[in-house]
Amino acid sequence: MEKPKAVLIVGGGIAGIQAALDLGDMGIKVHLVEKNPSIGGRMAQLDKTFPTNDCSICILSPKLADCFRHQNITLHTLSEVKEVKGQMRDFSIKLRKYARFVDEEKCVNCGDCSAKCPVKVPDEFDMKLRKREAIYPYYLQGVPAVMTIDREKCLYLTREVCKICEKFCAREAIDFEQKDTDVTLRVGAIIVATGFDPYDPSGISQYGYERYRNVIQSLEYERLICASGPTGGHLLRLSDNKPADRIAFIQCVGSRDFRNNRYCSSVCCMHATKEAMLAYEHDPKVKSHIFYMDLRAGGKGFQEYVSRGEQEYNISYIRGRVAKITEDHDENPIIWYEETQTSETKKMTVDLAVLATSFVPRKNVEELAGTLGVELDEHGFFKTDPLSPLDTTRLGIFTCGCCREPTDIPESVAQASGAAGRAAEAVMG
Amino acid sequence: MDDVRVGVFICHCGTNIGGFLDVLRLVDYTQSLPNVACAKDNKYTCSDAGLTEIKNAIAEKKLDRVVVASCTPRTHEPLFRSTCKEAGLNPYLFQFVNIRDQCSWVHMQEREKATEKAKALIKMGVARAALLEPLEETEVEVTPCAMVIGGGITGMTCALSLAKRDFEVKLVEKEERLGGTLNSLYRLYPTQDEASKLIQAKAEDLQKNPKVEVLTSSEVKEVKGFVGNYDVTVKHGENDRLLKAGVIIVATGAEALKPTSMYSYNGENIISQMELEQRLEKGKLNANKVVMIQCVGSRNEERAYCSKVCCLTALKNAMLIKEADSNAQVFVLYRDIVAQGTQYEDYYGKARETGITFIKYSPERKPVVEKGSVRVYDELLNEELTIPYDLVVLSTPMISHHDSAILAQKLKVPVDKNGFFLEAHVKLRPVDFATDGIYVCGCAHWPADISESISQAYAAASRASIPLSVGHVKTEPLTPVVNEDECTGCSLCELTCSFQAIRVEETEKGRKAKVIAASCKGCGACGAGCPHKAITMQHFTDEQLLAQIISLGEVKP
Amino acid sequence: MTPQEGFSPDIIGFLCNWCSYAGADLAGVSRFQYPPNVRIIRVMCSARVDPAIVLEAFVRGLDGIMVLGCHLGDCHYLTGNYYTEKRVKTVKSVLESVGLSPERLLIDWVSASEGERFAALVKEFTETIRELGALGKEANCDIQQLKTRLAAAKETLTRDRIRWLVGRERELTEDKNVFGERVTQEEFDQLMFQTIEKEFEKRKILISIGDDALSIKEIARKMEASPGKVLRNIVSLEHDGLVSVVGIEGNSPKYRRVRG
Repeated sequence: MEKPKAVLIVGGGIAGIQAALDLGDMGIKVHLVEKNPSIGGRMAQLDKTFPTNDCSICILSPKLADCFRHQNITLHTLSEVKEVKGQMRDFSIKLRKYARFVDEEKCVNCGDCSAKCPVKVPDEFDMKLRKREAIYPYYLQGVPAVMTIDREKCLYLTREVCKICEKFCAREAIDFEQKDTDVTLRVGAIIVATGFDPYDPSGISQYGYERYRNVIQSLEYERLICASGPTGGHLLRLSDNKPADRIAFIQCVGSRDFRNNRYCSSVCCMHATKEAMLAYEHDPKVKSHIFYMDLRAGGKGFQEYVSRGEQEYNISYIRGRVAKITEDHDENPIIWYEETQTSETKKMTVDLAVLATSFVPRKNVEELAGTLGVELDEHGFFKTDPLSPLDTTRLGIFTCGCCREPTDIPESVAQASGAAGRAAEAVMG
Repeated sequence: MDDVRVGVFICHCGTNIGGFLDVLRLVDYTQSLPNVACAKDNKYTCSDAGLTEIKNAIAEKKLDRVVVASCTPRTHEPLFRSTCKEAGLNPYLFQFVNIRDQCSWVHMQEREKATEKAKALIKMGVARAALLEPLEETEVEVTPCAMVIGGGITGMTCALSLAKRDFEVKLVEKEERLGGTLNSLYRLYPTQDEASKLIQAKAEDLQKNPKVEVLTSSEVKEVKGFVGNYDVTVKHGENDRLLKAGVIIVATGAEALKPTSMYSYNGENIISQMELEQRLEKGKLNANKVVMIQCVGSRNEERAYCSKVCCLTALKNAMLIKEADSNAQVFVLYRDIVAQGTQYEDYYGKARETGITFIKYSPERKPVVEKGSVRVYDELLNEELTIPYDLVVLSTPMISHHDSAILAQKLKVPVDKNGFFLEAHVKLRPVDFATDGIYVCGCAHWPADISESISQAYAAASRASIPLSVGHVKTEPLTPVVNEDECTGCSLCELTCSFQAIRVEETEKGRKAKVIAASCKGCGACGAGCPHKAITMQHFTDEQLLAQIISLGEVKP
Repeated sequence: MTPQEGFSPDIIGFLCNWCSYAGADLAGVSRFQYPPNVRIIRVMCSARVDPAIVLEAFVRGLDGIMVLGCHLGDCHYLTGNYYTEKRVKTVKSVLESVGLSPERLLIDWVSASEGERFAALVKEFTETIRELGALGKEANCDIQQLKTRLAAAKETLTRDRIRWLVGRERELTEDKNVFGERVTQEEFDQLMFQTIEKEFEKRKILISIGDDALSIKEIARKMEASPGKVLRNIVSLEHDGLVSVVGIEGNSPKYRRVRG
C-alpha cells in the first residue's frame, strides 16, 4: 500500500493552525484535530498581543478562515486521538469524533436556540466570568461558526426533558440522534501542538485567589479587558462593578517556585506589561505596579516595550516577591511585599490584583503522551532535545508551541512552521 | 456604470470600530450613495457569519462589486477577496476601506469627526469600486532551487532540511569554512556539547548530500528577479557566477559587540565573553578570581534591547571555570538574569549551586572596574562591595551583522532600527519577509540561541518549500497595459522600470512599449511618468484614483 | 500668520502599500492619535502618483496633499520613490507658478515601523495647512483666476515635454551621457523652471481664450498679465498650431483656439 502523504496535527491553537497552513500550502493533506468545538486555542482568548498591541483575534481570524476553507486541511473539532499504531511514514490513527448534536452544515449560528435554552452554566472560554447556555457558540469568532450542545449540561441529554432548542431552530439543525464516531486515518507524521493550561493559583493560599473576588488571574483579565468579553471590554471589578484604577500585577505565580513549578513561564513579564498598558489605554487614570523577580524581555522589541510602559503608561516595576495578599473592608486587595532596595516589608492597597499564573501542561497530557508513545519531561511538557528542538522522543512525531515549553506567539509560530518542515521531511523524504 | 451594484459591509470589529464611530449612521449614509445596492453592518465582518453574509448578498442582491469597511487590507484583503471568489465574483471587484487602523483607532476622542471621516472614506471606496474591473492572475514557474545565504548552524540546518525534501540548495558562505559564530564558541548551553563537534557533524552531512552545493569564500553580489525566479550573482574571488533560485533564505547571523572603551576593556585581563570562549577552549585561563559584568553595551540609551543569550552564555562559562577549578571565585554582576523556559531556569539553579556569586546591580549605579578590583553596589544587600579580580569578562550583546545593511539593500528587504532584518509581521510571520520568496532565520532576525536558531531554520525551510513544492506562483495582475495608439515608443518607461518589465520593441505599428508581466511588480512608476499617458495601470487606473479624489471634493461643504 | 477661524482643512494622503500605509496602520495599532483631516488613498508605490493627479486634487478643492513613500533606498520597487521625489518637486514648482504655497504638497518617507512618526507628520502637516488657510488664500486672486491657473497647471503637467524632462532628470543629472558630459542640477533646474513657466503661461492663455476669439489686450486683461508677455507666448502657440488668427478688429488680431 502506498505511504500516506498526510499529517495529523493535534491541537488547533495558533501553533497547530500555522503548521496546518504550511503543510496544506505545500500540497500535503492535513488532519487538524481539536478537542474544543472551535479552533483558535488560547490566542483567541487574548485581547491584544505584545509588543505591537495588535488585536489578537483580528490577526488570528484570517488564519482560522484559511484553515476552514483550505482544500488540503480537514478540521476535526470536538475530536480526540484514541490510538496510534505503526511508525513514521505509516501511522494508523483512531480518532474519536464526539457528537455536536448540531448539524454543522445547517446551523447558521443565529443564536435563536441558545436564547431559549433554560440552562445557565459558567462559560469556559470567558474563564467562567459569565454564564452561557447548554447550547452555545464556543466563542463569537470561532471556526467552524456553529452551535454546540454541551452533553453534560443539556437537560435532554442528561434527563431526557426539554428539547426546546429543537423547537426553535428554524433550520432544523439540532440533531439529538448524532452519535460519537470513531474514524481511522492514515498519516505519515504527527505534530503535537496541544498548548497549555494556566496554573490554578488557588493552590497558593496566601494570595487568596477564589477567596477574594478582586484577585484574578491573567487569562481572566484578558477576557475582562477584551471588547468581546463578558464586560464588553470594561475593566470592572468582580466585587462591585467599579472600574479598577490601581492595579497590581503579581509575577511568577506558580513559576520559579520550588513548591510549584521550578521553571520560568517565559512570557509573563511581557503579557503583564501589555495588560497594564491596555488598562491605561482604557483609562489614563490607571496606575499599575508590576511585582517581578527578574525582568525577562529578551525578544525583538520587548525591552523597548517595557521602557515605553514605564515612561508612557504609568507602570512601575517593583522587584520583589509578594509574600501575601489580604483585603480591606471594601474588598480592596492589599499587597504585602518586601522591597528589595530597602529590605523593608511594605504593603500597598490596590483595586485589583492580577496573578500572572504559570503555564502548565494540559491536564490530560499524560494520557495523550501515552497514546502517542512519546516521553514527557519532568514538568509534563513534551520532551525534546536542544539540538533537535522540534522532535519528540518518537520518530515521526514532532511538537511545537506551549506543549513543549512556555513560548510566546512569534516563537510558537516559528516552531509550528519548523515542525511542519520536519513533518514534510518525514512524509515526502 | 449605471448597472453597477455595490454591496457595502461595515464592520463594528467588536468595539474597535463600533466603540468610536457611529456605525449605524454610516450604514444609513452608505445606503444613500450612488450604485449602492445594499449596505449592512456586522459585528465582525471577518467572522464566518460575516463572510457568509457577504456571499449570500452577492447571490441574493446580485452584487457585482463588494466594499468592506473594516480594518486594513494588509491583513484582511486576501480573506475578503477569496470570499468574493467563492461566491463567483472576480476578486478584483473587491474594495477595502480602512476605518479602524486609520480612523477609529486614531481618533478615539472625536466620535463625530471620526464618523464624518469614515463617511468620506466609504464614499471614496464606493466610487472607486464602481470603476473596478475583473482581472485574472498570471502563473509563473518556480525554479526548483533554494539559495541559503550564510553557512552557520542556522543556514546549514535550513539547507539540510530542504535537501531532505529533494530540493536543490546552494549554500553561500562568505568565510572559508562553514560554521559561522559557532566557530568562535567553545561549548554550548545547556548541554555543554562542544560547538566544533556540532559544526563538524552538520558540515559532513552537507558535503555528503548530493542536493547541496556549498559555496564558501563566496558573497552575494547582486540579486535580480522575483519569487520563483531570482537571478543571484555570487562572487568567488575574481569570478562571478550567476545562479538561479526560486527562493532565498537569509541566515547571515549576527556578531558580538566588541566592548572597546567600555569598563577599561584591554583584551588582556579585561576581556569579552567571546574572548573568554577562546581562552577556555585553549585551556589557558590563568585566572582564579573572575568577575563577569552583564548588559555591557545593551539595555542602555544607545542600544535599548536585551540580547537574550548573554546571561546563559555567562552562566555556561562561569560553570566551566568552576568545573576546571572548583576553588575559582566567579562573580556575575547582573541586572536581570534572563533564563526563560523549562530548562534554563534549572541551568541557572545549577550555576548557583556550584558556588558562583550573583550580584544584582542597577543601571543607575553601574559597577566600576578599577585596577585589581571591581566596585559594585549590591542592590539586594544594599551595600557597596569591592571584588578583587584576575580577570574581568564583559558580556556584550549580539549586534546586527556589519554586512546586513548591504545585503538588505541588494535583496530590497528592510532592517529594523537595530539593524536586524525586519520580518513581514512581528507576531504571525516571524520568518517571512514582505517580499515573496525571501525568508529570514536565526540571529540575522534577532539574537537567538542554538535551539531557537535551529527551530527557525526549519521554519524558514518550511516556508520556502511552499513555492518550491507547488512549482509555480501566481502573480497579481496589477500590471500596466499599453495603449499602442498613444505610445510613441519614446522608451521613457523602459528607463523608469527597475525590473526590466517593460521594453520598447518593433511592432507592426512601429516602436511600441511591451509589458513582461512575469517580471512586473505592479508599482505603476511607468504609467505615472508616461509623457503621452499611454499606459494604464490595472487596478490603479487614473479613473479609479480620480474617482476617489472627486468624491472627496464633493464631500467638501 | 494666524489660522483661519474654524477652518478644518481637507487633505489627501497618497500612501504606498509597503511602508507608509503600514506605518499608518501601526499608528492605529499603537493608538497614536492625530487630527482626522487626512483621507488616505492607498497606492502600491508612491511612484504611482501622477503629477497630473496631484494637481487634479487641488483643482477639486483639496487644501493639502501628502505623498508618503518608503525611505529612500528602502523602496519595495527599488527606485520608485526617487521618481516620486522628482515628480513632486516639479509639482511644487508648478504650484508656485499658480501662486500657491508649495508647502501645500508634502513629500516624506515613513517606514512600516514608524507609526509614531506618521502620526506626528499628519499632525504637523494639518497644522501647516490650517495656518495657510483654505486653498488659494495665499494666491491673492479671485476664485475664477485661481481656477484658471489651476486648470492651466494641470494641463502643464500633462504636457509630454514636461513629463519627458521629469522622467529623464535622474538620468541627466546623475549619469554621464555618451560623451562623458553631465548636466548639473542647477542647469537642469533652470531648464525645468523655464519650461514650466513657458508651458504654464501658454496653457493659461489657452484657457483664458476658452471658446471665444480674443485680442492680445483682451487676453492680457483677463489674465492680469502684460500684453508683451502674452504676445511672445501667443506667437509660440500659433507656431505649435494651437491658436490661429480668426479676424482683425481695429488693429488687433483676434485669436481662437484650434481644437484637435
